[in-house]
Amino acid sequence: MEEIKGAVALIGYGLAAIGPGIGIGIVVGNAIQAMARQPEAATLARTTMFLGIAFTEALALIGFVLFFIA
Amino acid sequence: MDVLILASEECDTAKEIICAPTNVIELFEHKHVFFSIGPLDFNRTVILIFLAMFIVIGALYFAFRKPKVVPGKFGVMMESLVSFVRDDIAKGTIGPEGGKYAPYLLAMFLFILVGNLFELTPFINFPITSRMAIPLMLSVFTYLIFVIVGFSHNGLAYLGQIIWPRSVPIGLRWLVGLIEFVSTFALRPITLAVRLFANMVAGHLMLTLLLASGWLFFASVGEIGVRAAIGLPWFAFGLLIFVFEFVVAVLQAYIFTLLTAVYIQTSVHPEH
Repeated sequence: MEEIKGAVALIGYGLAAIGPGIGIGIVVGNAIQAMARQPEAATLARTTMFLGIAFTEALALIGFVLFFIA
Repeated sequence: MDVLILASEECDTAKEIICAPTNVIELFEHKHVFFSIGPLDFNRTVILIFLAMFIVIGALYFAFRKPKVVPGKFGVMMESLVSFVRDDIAKGTIGPEGGKYAPYLLAMFLFILVGNLFELTPFINFPITSRMAIPLMLSVFTYLIFVIVGFSHNGLAYLGQIIWPRSVPIGLRWLVGLIEFVSTFALRPITLAVRLFANMVAGHLMLTLLLASGWLFFASVGEIGVRAAIGLPWFAFGLLIFVFEFVVAVLQAYIFTLLTAVYIQTSVHPEH
């Protein structure tokens, strides 16, 4: 088991990146839609988009850190 | 392909290639101490922390030493940074009373920004925020501030709002309250620190791998001949990532400050 440890961690990080990838896509897509429909609310949409990205991205980054620790 | 095997297995110290850390502990430890003053050990990271501190203090001091009606280019830049943090982040997120948190947010924003941009500064090439201690310390400050602000603004109702949220159907309150409690008091400081840390480590690793492997190919042109041209796309890709990392460095400083402001805001007005 010891020899394939690195490979398992890689696969685990790959799996951990799927969800946040989809999530960030949804967040940014909807934010762009909101900005296109209401350009006057673009500042608010952008701030909220960064917040949403930050929260979603945290999952992938935890996976990234665990990849090193594993 | 001897070169690739060498690079992947161990350090080629003869060619001064930067190696991957042998174990992950190095990301959390402070090694290679240059000199010590009392209990303080000065290594490269600590020196860079002080450098970042002096850069921030110096920039603010020289920009606002003699306030002018029409400031120079540098003054305009610093004024727009300060007003961005104070008006957009502090007052825009927390509300009108956010002005009193602006100094903390400004200090943190500038420190993280300078620390992140060290990643791209020639001859430094090391983001101090990629050592876990620094983002963790900053997020502990943020944690203390938003918990203390929450209790001082709302008393024990702050805790009550989190554990027993009134806006949720009564059957689900214990579950939502548990999730909210764990996410507010345990996960918030950890994710805040890990987000900055992991972004900077990832960027630093990517830059190191791409640029160092490109350079390794160029350096071994005598051994592998024309195949050294493989290093060219590596190096070009590394330069692309270099530009991308500039965006990441600025964005992560912004996100860290923005999330701090959001956390303070949820403590000031917990019902939202």
